[in-house]
Amino acid sequence: MPKIKKDKNGQTNSINQVRYGCALGAMHSVSAIPGAIPITHCGPGCVDKQYMSLSFYNGYQGGGYSGGAVPPSSNLQEKDVVFGGAKHLDQLIEASLKIMEGDLFVVLNGCIPEIVGDDIGAVVARYQEKGVPIVSAETGGFKGNNFTGHEIVTEAIIEQYVDKYAQDKETKKKGLINVWSELPFQNTFWRGDLTELKRILEGAGWEVNILFGYGSKGVKEWLTIPNAEFNLVVGPWLGLKTAKLLESKYGQPYLHLPVLPIGAKQVAEFLRAIAEFAQENEVQTERFIKQEEKEYYYYLEYFTDFYAEYWWGLPAVYSVVSDAAYNLAINKFVVNQLGLIPAKQIITDHTPEKYHEAIRAEYQKLAEDVGAEVEFVEDGYIVNQLLKQEDYGHKPPVIFGTSWERDTVKELNGHIVEVSYPVSYDVVLNKTYIGYRGALTLLETIFTTAISKSA
Amino acid sequence: MPKKINLDIASVEQREQRLGTIIAWDGTTEELHKQSSYELRGQRERGAGCGGNCRLCELSGPFTQGSVCSEQMVECQAGNVRDAVLIQHAPIGCGGGQTVYNNIYRNGLVMRGYKAENLRIINTNLIESDMVFGAADKLRQSIDDAFERYQPQAIFVASSCATGIIGEDIESITDEKEAELGIPVVPLACEGFRSKHWSTGFDATQHGILRQIVRRNPTKKQEDLVNVINLWGSDVFSPMLAHLNLRVNYVVDLASVEELAQMSEAAATVGFCYTLSSYMAAALEQHFGVPEVKAPMPYGFAGADAWLRELAKVTHREHLVEKFIAEEHARVKPKIEELKKKLKGVKGFVATGSAYAHGLIQVLRELDVEVDGSLTFHHDPVYDSGDQREDSLGHLNEHYGQVKNFHVSNRQQYQLYAFLQENKPDFLLIRHNGLAPLASRLGIPAAPLGDEHIAVGYDGIVNLGETILEILAHKKFHDDIKKHVKLPYKKWWLEQKDAYILAKHPELVKFDEDEYRAEQERKEAAHA
Repeated sequence: MPKIKKDKNGQTNSINQVRYGCALGAMHSVSAIPGAIPITHCGPGCVDKQYMSLSFYNGYQGGGYSGGAVPPSSNLQEKDVVFGGAKHLDQLIEASLKIMEGDLFVVLNGCIPEIVGDDIGAVVARYQEKGVPIVSAETGGFKGNNFTGHEIVTEAIIEQYVDKYAQDKETKKKGLINVWSELPFQNTFWRGDLTELKRILEGAGWEVNILFGYGSKGVKEWLTIPNAEFNLVVGPWLGLKTAKLLESKYGQPYLHLPVLPIGAKQVAEFLRAIAEFAQENEVQTERFIKQEEKEYYYYLEYFTDFYAEYWWGLPAVYSVVSDAAYNLAINKFVVNQLGLIPAKQIITDHTPEKYHEAIRAEYQKLAEDVGAEVEFVEDGYIVNQLLKQEDYGHKPPVIFGTSWERDTVKELNGHIVEVSYPVSYDVVLNKTYIGYRGALTLLETIFTTAISKSA
Repeated sequence: MPKKINLDIASVEQREQRLGTIIAWDGTTEELHKQSSYELRGQRERGAGCGGNCRLCELSGPFTQGSVCSEQMVECQAGNVRDAVLIQHAPIGCGGGQTVYNNIYRNGLVMRGYKAENLRIINTNLIESDMVFGAADKLRQSIDDAFERYQPQAIFVASSCATGIIGEDIESITDEKEAELGIPVVPLACEGFRSKHWSTGFDATQHGILRQIVRRNPTKKQEDLVNVINLWGSDVFSPMLAHLNLRVNYVVDLASVEELAQMSEAAATVGFCYTLSSYMAAALEQHFGVPEVKAPMPYGFAGADAWLRELAKVTHREHLVEKFIAEEHARVKPKIEELKKKLKGVKGFVATGSAYAHGLIQVLRELDVEVDGSLTFHHDPVYDSGDQREDSLGHLNEHYGQVKNFHVSNRQQYQLYAFLQENKPDFLLIRHNGLAPLASRLGIPAAPLGDEHIAVGYDGIVNLGETILEILAHKKFHDDIKKHVKLPYKKWWLEQKDAYILAKHPELVKFDEDEYRAEQERKEAAHA
């Protein structure tokens, strides 16, 4: 008798063609904060695997100041397994403080210390008591993926650092908001996306703690988290847990907008929803929308010629295979802006079960007259089986997916636009696919891909 | 003579125990060679020798940066066999390697003229409850999934840190499944914490292949077949060996299971690097009677000549080799003279695995490129055969002269900073990620040698020379970057001359609360 239950798609425990990292992969959430340095307490290959997969072969994003081969690591050996690795970690932290130049250190542990029971909290507490800006996060790899790890790390920084070092946690600054959205590095285009997100929010009159990436003022900015008027969660589910924590901790309300906005329609809806929620910045929001739409539609007007009369045919049917945030965002955009026809949509980020229903509901109302079926699948073999079984009509589909889909897309004679981890055949610097500017880039990418295949 | 490699047990013996491998050392190549005492160790391996007197000193300090693990090497070998499936019995984080080695696999396939396709690695996806209750059924299920989905010719099962600690009995499950499915189901012991150096992962893969895939009593011999133990590099061996009327059997990456099985039928085994080939080549000789070509590695004229002559001897083709060598010398020498003019005054630094580094330094010196400094990720004082003709470090010293500043440093970027300050090279040759980005931030271009065959043989000298000229042209980019980035290391560290100072004086890192506070205040004042 088989002891492992298969779900309706045939998913067992097996995961082939991984589409996320492990909780320790959230070391990237640390290195995404300017001035913060991860210290890793784990086996000798853990940091390299998470870096090479989530950052290198995913858009070749690079390690920057404190990622890549920079993070201190205990590279645990057999003796640490037998005797425990806490002392080893203690030495590593001490040495790291002597060698590494950082404003904040975040100690993350991997599977080994979790299993052998190292108390990293106790080791780190000794340094916290001495005034060192350092926090510990229990991110053992078997605890979940890097989405889970991201929320663990975020909360650790809030609980152990922001709470202690923020000078004034009571005053709320009108118009200041904290944004919780894409997962740094996992979302290949996060750097460009967060920059565009900040730009449109500022354009609509908000002051923004974007917290990760170039647009963030780094560790200092995190200390102003308690002063925000409210938290904004952009995406189907990631960040909700953090927002709830901040609600209880600092009395900040939060606004959850599930759709990461791409294109004029979604952005306008997005910015208006925020203004309405806060009863603030309405005039500035409208002024900004008007000004941005003028530019956006200037380009769409010229694009119209191509879209209306390109002789050799363009793809009509699509599937998106990605994490929840990008999946919903692209669906909303291509249905509403381009009038493409959805086939099966596949979400691969191990979205917690409790959010599934709400997410399915969003797909039922992609447009007034368009809905789509969505599946939650993590095993790449099954993802590709589902894609192959789908009927795309008489023309090859466009698949918004990952590098893992390349073989299947060739079989389908379709078009692949890599939008989700791993994106191993795109070099990504500041490219964005969201907001106003990202939407134009996404249009360029989709149709360049489609027509460059024709001859 | 006792058999040195034991194929009766399922787990491979770690490299540090077999060979005395170390991962941190500092000095000259002559000192390292002396301390390694290859000859004595080699004798000991044969049952005589130096007893307890050949311990090689190793430095060990309180600070390390993220390294690489054995399981990754299993992924890039067993995971890249064309008609097999590799199962990672592990939490999902270990699955990150699937992405990395897929890219390498796809490129490797195309480089060798195969169609690009995704590799087949399955992760058993262990979660917290599995750490408590074990996950034998998950492993069984994933083996079944592998069989059903891909109809593989063999299934490899890699262990992980997690399964190692909780004591999963992988071997009994692979035995059970092998009997049930009728194909080799091969356990590979590669827990990351088990060995201090990742190259044990190569041995783990090769051990499993030797035990369960290589044909034990081959009915035929292929007297013109040569096993070439390599990774995914381009096919430079076939044209070379064709001159001796020999055919190449590339193993392990990109091979089929049948190509692995037929290793026991070959006339000889060679490799491009003893670090990689040591275990399998020695075992093939000891257990299957396939001779290992015992010679310097095929780098530079002296190395390539000696290597070809020995290969010809072992395969009884002495009558073909001298003409070939003479023609090759005549063919490449003018090109090399041209390259030497262009490379005059250029200084290089090599940062790769152990034996491979020795080979690359030889090639650089053939090109008159100055090499005073180098680092290897580990050092094997002896290789598995124990035969002195394989003493790659000795060969380097003897034929090409020593390297003054030779460092063994296991992918430690913070140490590379000091090495580069000391040596001030114009470029780096590199394999494995993580070091080139630092060099780049210091204005030094690096040539990442993804195709490990680039410097092999006579053409290799030319190829490497041309590669260096190409990357020297990148210097404009790196010089510009240098002016605009800040390194993540403190001034105190950047001023250290000795990269191993913390190993020698661990007390230097003692945490002083007052000093730390004063430093923080200074920093804040500077910010303000």
